[in-house]
Amino acid sequence: MTYEEFADTRLAPLLRYAVMLTGDPHQAQDLVQETMVRVQLNWRRVARADSPERYVRRMLTNQYVDWRRGSWVRRVLLRGEPDASVPALTDHAQSAVDRDQIWSWLSRLPRRQRAALVLRYYEDLPDMEIADILGCAVGTVRSSISRALATLRAEYVEA
Amino acid sequence: MIEDDLRAAFVRHEPLTPSTGPLRASIDRLAATRRRRRQRFQAAGVTLALLAALGVGVPQLRPDRPVDGPSLSGQPAGTPSEALNVLLLGVDGFGEQPSYRLADSVLLVHIPADRSRPYLISLPRDLGVSIPGRGVDKLNSAFFTGAGEPRPDLDAGYDLTRRVVADLTGVRVDAGAVLTFAGLRRITDAVDGVQVCLPKEVESWHTRRTFPAGCQRLDGAASVDLLRQRRDLPDGAFDRDRNAQRYVAGLIRAVSAKDVLSNPVRLAGLLSAPGKGLAVDDDGLPLTRLVAVLPEMDSVDPVGLSLPVGEPVDDRTLLPLDPKLGKAFLAALAEDRLAQWVAQHPERVNPVR
Repeated sequence: MTYEEFADTRLAPLLRYAVMLTGDPHQAQDLVQETMVRVQLNWRRVARADSPERYVRRMLTNQYVDWRRGSWVRRVLLRGEPDASVPALTDHAQSAVDRDQIWSWLSRLPRRQRAALVLRYYEDLPDMEIADILGCAVGTVRSSISRALATLRAEYVEA
Repeated sequence: MIEDDLRAAFVRHEPLTPSTGPLRASIDRLAATRRRRRQRFQAAGVTLALLAALGVGVPQLRPDRPVDGPSLSGQPAGTPSEALNVLLLGVDGFGEQPSYRLADSVLLVHIPADRSRPYLISLPRDLGVSIPGRGVDKLNSAFFTGAGEPRPDLDAGYDLTRRVVADLTGVRVDAGAVLTFAGLRRITDAVDGVQVCLPKEVESWHTRRTFPAGCQRLDGAASVDLLRQRRDLPDGAFDRDRNAQRYVAGLIRAVSAKDVLSNPVRLAGLLSAPGKGLAVDDDGLPLTRLVAVLPEMDSVDPVGLSLPVGEPVDDRTLLPLDPKLGKAFLAALAEDRLAQWVAQHPERVNPVR
């Protein structure tokens, strides 16, 4: 597989995944951009992986989880041109977002927990694969998910 | 159920996803830029920027015939010049792909406008500085923050450190280089060893090797060993910084003595020596201009200095700038009057030979 072929089919799903992780289209673009630049520069190594897709997803997830230590947030600030590619929310969608408290609660979770939730409830991956992507044990995945769910449930009760 | 609400929330937000077209174009653009940068950094020729900037081999480089302006520098040689500042970073980490890197030696080489002699200014690695994207932390973590992990990028680490150093000192950084252990070893061996003069005996915490007081010629492995020592030195990281200055002073002498810069064969050998262990930045200052500047230097004997710092406050390990001396020193550096400052503070000079 070439980088071009990979990008043809995988860029859109990765971007959707990044939106779920960050909750923000601009940050998602920056996250995917930073990851994919690295992917392109190191394509030979990526292509050698058993599943390049999973390899890249792991890169992107690490980049997201490690944002404090990494540098992609810096690029958010440096990004020059505003882009027209982000669709403006319609009024209808906006009101849905307003009602959508669970979405805002998600943003308060630790990044690793949010990533685990996205991988299980959006990407529908088995815990084994989530553990592989997050680089931890299956038990750790389950405990972070249950902690995250407990936090969200507590928010429900308060709200 | 909360799980169902979650699934629904994710699906409902799918329309937030931007289109991929512009993103893909910007990925390609950025990747092309970085690929070019990488190639530039790997070009052996720019290594000359490091040596040239250090004032290496200055008298030997003086050309027999006057330099033809346009061919070399694009401007007449001997134009009244400005001060130059070159940032040298010594980073730790072993092997081809260490999982992280810290810059434990941060050395600013200042070449005054009058081209009298180079100044080697150590910036303490524990100095508290403001690092974009990280907050206030030790200077050596700027490289770590920029380079990232688990595959540190030397260029990015250099870029962020350069920014932090420029903010801290207020001077423009004209060129710079990052030296890994491997690069240090190879460059030392390429000049057949470097003479380092120690005021006191140093015993290696890592290899148990003893470096006696006095002058000694060290090969690449020994140089790396010496410059890693901090724990058992009375003044810790400060003593290590002083040893780094003694090494650089010795490297300059070694290269000068060998006529490296005037001998094309030796020069080519030295330039290719550090290989991937050295990344050089010549963004701010074209190499050709540096070369044109060299014959103007009077002496290659550097003056060793450290940025004056105070005691850590509130139990923290971050060192603040010395409240009195620090600002005065930085002002002297920015205004290119270090000679005057050194005359006023002779006790601050670190003997390098």
